[in-house]
Amino acid sequence: SSHEHKLNFRKSKEACLSYIQDALLQKQWKRAAEFLTCYVESLEKDYSRELIGPSEMIWRIGTEILWHHSQSSMKEFNCFMEQMKTLGVKRYLKVCLEHVFHLLCNGQIDEAYQNLSLAESWRFGEQTAVQDKEMKLIEAYRGLLDYYRWYKQKNILLEHSEDGFSDLAVEQEMHGYFRKAAVNLKEIIKIPGVWDVFVKCYVDLLEFYGDHNEARQVLNEYAYNSKFPANPNAHVYLYQFLKRQGESKKSLISALKILHDIVPSHELMIDFNTMLQKSKKRKKRRLGLEVIFAALDYAGWKENAKAWSCLARQVKQIVISEKHLDWIKQEWNSRKDWWPAFHFSRYLAKRNWQENKSLSYEKALVAGILLGKDCKYFRYVSHQGCKAQLKRFRMLKKFVNRHNPVYLRISG
Amino acid sequence: MEFPAALFPSYFGAGPPREEGGPAPVAGWGEHGQVLEGGPGRRQAQPAFVPRRGATGERWEATDAAAVPVLLPSAGCWIPSPAPQDILYRSGLCKKLRAGKSGATLDFARQLGHFFVDHPEDAFGSLGQLLHKNFYLGNSKLKVTVSRNSTIRMTALVEDIDRLEARRGCPRQHLASRLRWFSHLCRDWLFEVPLGLLADCLHEELMQQWSNLLFDDSLTGGALAWLPPEDGGTPVGRLVHPGGQAMNHLYFQDVALEELPRARGSPAQFELSGRVRQVAAARVDGEDFVGVRSDYHCGVWRVPGRTGAAPTPLQVIRTDVPASCLTVSPHLPGELSVCTQSGTVYLWSVGTGLQQLRHDPQTMFFRDHSPWRWSDFTAHPRVLSCADRTGLQCLDARAPKKCHFDLFKVGEEAGCQQGERVVLPMYLGRAHPSQYLVTTQFSVYVLDERLPLVPVLKWAHMMKAPPLFAHLMPGNPGRSHQVLLGASRTQELLLLQYRGGSQSACQLAGTPQKLHSIGGCLQHLPTQLPHRQHLLQQRLTAPAAGLAATLQEDGPHKSMLVFQLSEAGDVFCQRLTHKAAQPPAPPSRDEATTAPGSSPLFEAPASSPQGLGAAALRYHRWLRALSRACRESPRHTWHPSLSQRRLFTRRDLQGPAGPSNLQRQMRQRLHQAMQEGGRIQRWEPSAIQPPPLPQTLEPAGGPDPLSARLTAAWAGDWEQWWEERTSFSVAQRQRALRERRRRQKRARGHRSLSASFTSSLTYQSELSELSDAGPPLLSPGRPPILSQEGSPPAGSPAVRSPPTSPVPDEALLSSQSLRCRGIPKERRKTLRDYLSVWAEGPPEPPELPGSQASQLCIPSSQSQLSSASQPRRKRPRMGF
Repeated sequence: SSHEHKLNFRKSKEACLSYIQDALLQKQWKRAAEFLTCYVESLEKDYSRELIGPSEMIWRIGTEILWHHSQSSMKEFNCFMEQMKTLGVKRYLKVCLEHVFHLLCNGQIDEAYQNLSLAESWRFGEQTAVQDKEMKLIEAYRGLLDYYRWYKQKNILLEHSEDGFSDLAVEQEMHGYFRKAAVNLKEIIKIPGVWDVFVKCYVDLLEFYGDHNEARQVLNEYAYNSKFPANPNAHVYLYQFLKRQGESKKSLISALKILHDIVPSHELMIDFNTMLQKSKKRKKRRLGLEVIFAALDYAGWKENAKAWSCLARQVKQIVISEKHLDWIKQEWNSRKDWWPAFHFSRYLAKRNWQENKSLSYEKALVAGILLGKDCKYFRYVSHQGCKAQLKRFRMLKKFVNRHNPVYLRISG
Repeated sequence: MEFPAALFPSYFGAGPPREEGGPAPVAGWGEHGQVLEGGPGRRQAQPAFVPRRGATGERWEATDAAAVPVLLPSAGCWIPSPAPQDILYRSGLCKKLRAGKSGATLDFARQLGHFFVDHPEDAFGSLGQLLHKNFYLGNSKLKVTVSRNSTIRMTALVEDIDRLEARRGCPRQHLASRLRWFSHLCRDWLFEVPLGLLADCLHEELMQQWSNLLFDDSLTGGALAWLPPEDGGTPVGRLVHPGGQAMNHLYFQDVALEELPRARGSPAQFELSGRVRQVAAARVDGEDFVGVRSDYHCGVWRVPGRTGAAPTPLQVIRTDVPASCLTVSPHLPGELSVCTQSGTVYLWSVGTGLQQLRHDPQTMFFRDHSPWRWSDFTAHPRVLSCADRTGLQCLDARAPKKCHFDLFKVGEEAGCQQGERVVLPMYLGRAHPSQYLVTTQFSVYVLDERLPLVPVLKWAHMMKAPPLFAHLMPGNPGRSHQVLLGASRTQELLLLQYRGGSQSACQLAGTPQKLHSIGGCLQHLPTQLPHRQHLLQQRLTAPAAGLAATLQEDGPHKSMLVFQLSEAGDVFCQRLTHKAAQPPAPPSRDEATTAPGSSPLFEAPASSPQGLGAAALRYHRWLRALSRACRESPRHTWHPSLSQRRLFTRRDLQGPAGPSNLQRQMRQRLHQAMQEGGRIQRWEPSAIQPPPLPQTLEPAGGPDPLSARLTAAWAGDWEQWWEERTSFSVAQRQRALRERRRRQKRARGHRSLSASFTSSLTYQSELSELSDAGPPLLSPGRPPILSQEGSPPAGSPAVRSPPTSPVPDEALLSSQSLRCRGIPKERRKTLRDYLSVWAEGPPEPPELPGSQASQLCIPSSQSQLSSASQPRRKRPRMGF
């Protein structure tokens, strides 16, 4: 009966698919390709109402095989992709986009550009609206490629101007690329998402043409619009822009303060700390201490000598001036039950000493002040340092011993 | 800790997932996802683009055609967990009727029937006895007597039931009127437990078993851990795995990393009071901390880094609700996080105890019925992630109520599909301090805590069963990290590679690769007898229970060892070797090796002088040990091992201490004779005062038995003499038995923690006052650190009671002797039955009525497994 036939057909189709899957997962591309030629038959009698139909499967599997098959060529790949585009209207733009990606990764930028332009003009009734997201991406990527062309022209122009003559045609072309790129890039970065590349390029364009207000607005929007994800890069770009613009310390600090609130472990926290330490305001210096303590809470900073030297410097300053010991005390309060095991264990003392002497020096200074001269870390490192007759470490020992009462005040 | 200067573009939406979907068989292939400019040299003439997926990765190739056993199978056969056919309604007719309809039918009636047959005492106990006289079980017709009015003939009822059984599944079945009448009459009062209540309990249990069969999340995380050797030390690591019939023994096995990993020495062994569900390990400051989770207990061990150092149990906690997660902190020594199914998350530090971080029986982002919870550590040692099926949140342990943020949500944020659920979250700290892995049944995500909610990597893994296990092998800076995903039921193993996270954005590298599963070796093994083949297949295709792996670098050669644990307790291993980058992968031997039918594993490689490869030898040894273990097993089924502790009081078992004078003497002589190489012609009386006959067991110095007996008879209390005599011999035997057991135990040399599990400090984890009162105080009397020698009290059950002398003394059965030994009346029959089981030798299993077995033994958990469940493995163990 036809029902049975359908069942059998489905079964053999599934079996074939599982063989292909098996071959793919074992990187047996040749075998997979052979099975795929059999599987193509399933297109003829497509009874399935599943979300991923056979045509999509063939596209995905075929692409994967062609990526890896030893005998495949770019020409074959392009040919296959063109066929796949015609095979399914529902994912036409997605296939286009993937095709473009492959071309880009293989350095065929011009072909990719052509494909993007073609895809951009694709219209297919309702389907165009359904695939709106892909369409926006296609436009954005074309904008990106336009940007790269603009960039190239700009460099040519800059070289020429150094040589002392201007090329009007090149300049015209460059402005043309700018317009094309700007239109498309502007569109995509309005939609919530992660658009680091597009934002960077767009801001670069704007800055070149002196539209700083627009650039600032774009970056502010990208960083502070609550519909966008909390992307640390958005704040970094804003900070870098402000820095380029020569903005006041205050606005730089406020930009970094927000980054600190989102990602206390960001690498810019070192800059932030140095900036704050230099400040004359007590509040700012206080914040600086907080920032560096918070950064060192993270496992990724454990062995960051720079961060430890920042902390050591500030702690040393406070101890010498004997003012604001309560700052240290407050920071230390929420950490004293786990920092000793996390940072100042004997095991770490040994390892840090072996791997990075200056790190162990900074850490020993902090440990000596926070935990007193009897702490394991300080004792081990200062002992090793004195044994190795390093002057620095002898000074360190003296310093900590002299300021040991501080420890009592902090821990008390 | 750098953050990539630019991330791959992606849309960001909020709200519930919009994409419809389901398991898509090929969804992971053929997509680059996105591209990003980020070639090695930036700003060249042409921008260089890199794809999110599809970049070239490292090449790993399996050295053998199948996974190879690492350890020999343990003695004693494995008890498979219930299979679908055990609890599903199966009937040819029914199947046809239901063809096309989805959904399984649980065979409720059969299970209830099993219960009535297996536990008649519990089901009908008192009324059964009362009605004893009114039920006539004979075949002949009832005579017209007085009893006619008050007796019914059960045979007819049974016939009716049989007939009904035969017509089972028939759509037009009618209940026999007699049955209906009988059940109508006595349904309300016949049962010891009200039938409705019983049925509810049974149904609940059945549903539970069935949902476990569909997806058992208690195994999440896996029960296998690899403690790598210390840097620069000898290549001897340690495998931590559960074993034993009930998987309640924890082993720390030294394993030497040779061509095939080889077990070295005997493992350190601990007996736990529950099935081990998860083993988690982390290395802090050169020491390994191993957390072990069973349903109601969690324990932590410390293993010093140097090889050969013994593991030390540190602390045990007990929970009222089953724990669903235990993870070990990679930052601070002796810190763990525990979750229970009631939705509570604790930070557990060995020094200070438990700190409750959250208690919320509801799921976080939307309603989901699963009580499963998970928790892990993050880049900040004081911030823990906690997860349920709907997503992940991070909590600050210093202010868990105030400070938290969402890390992952099943929703549009991560581009999830409808119906997608979190299966396993894992902190990837060793690869990158702020990275996180989340697997769902469809996809695998890599998250960065610095950019919450937006996965930095997403890939549809296409596995047939949800990945319950994952293992990370971090690569050197700039190299790709290897992630292994493992599923339980289908034993799938998938190797993924990814890189990036600090300087560059995260990329999936290379294609995913399927590794050998345990069951895959079946096709390479020599053909067995059908029933053996069946056993072997059952054993090898048991669901996976854990996953561990390690990278081994030996100069230029790099290889990866992957261990897989099955529910049967088998640990298999495979080695993958790293191939230097060969951009165009040549169509090499890989196309041929795994063609079905051929078994390169057992072909003699020409190079090998022994004729067979090391792997094949391993298999031969393993198969031999397995068949030996399984041949032994039937004997256990004939000899139900019973806990004697319940049958006799401790006083009963007290025998004279130490060997008697006579025995000592005899032993000495035997010893002497052996040393001299001479022989003993007869046990001649020695200088002291030997008894005349060797078999008598009276204490030396007493009058000879005959005269004693005559004297007693003369005096008139001959009976008492007999009793004394027999009781003496029984005591003697008991003592010998105990002595032997003690010797065996000592020989096994295992250290048992079962007692410490129960006797250690227990936290009433679900007590609400705990939440605010801070860390609970340790009970002052007990030190928090348990002695590892803490052996159980004398009465604690051993793994299996060794069989006693097969023929019990007849006299032991006499009721007088039992009475005078102070055994209460109601137990005497039990005891007699018990002993007669020994006496009759192995009875046929079908004839050993379940009722008797269950009535006889009041066993410890282990003996229940071996006695009650083993003979009828087809039936699932219901909670009764």
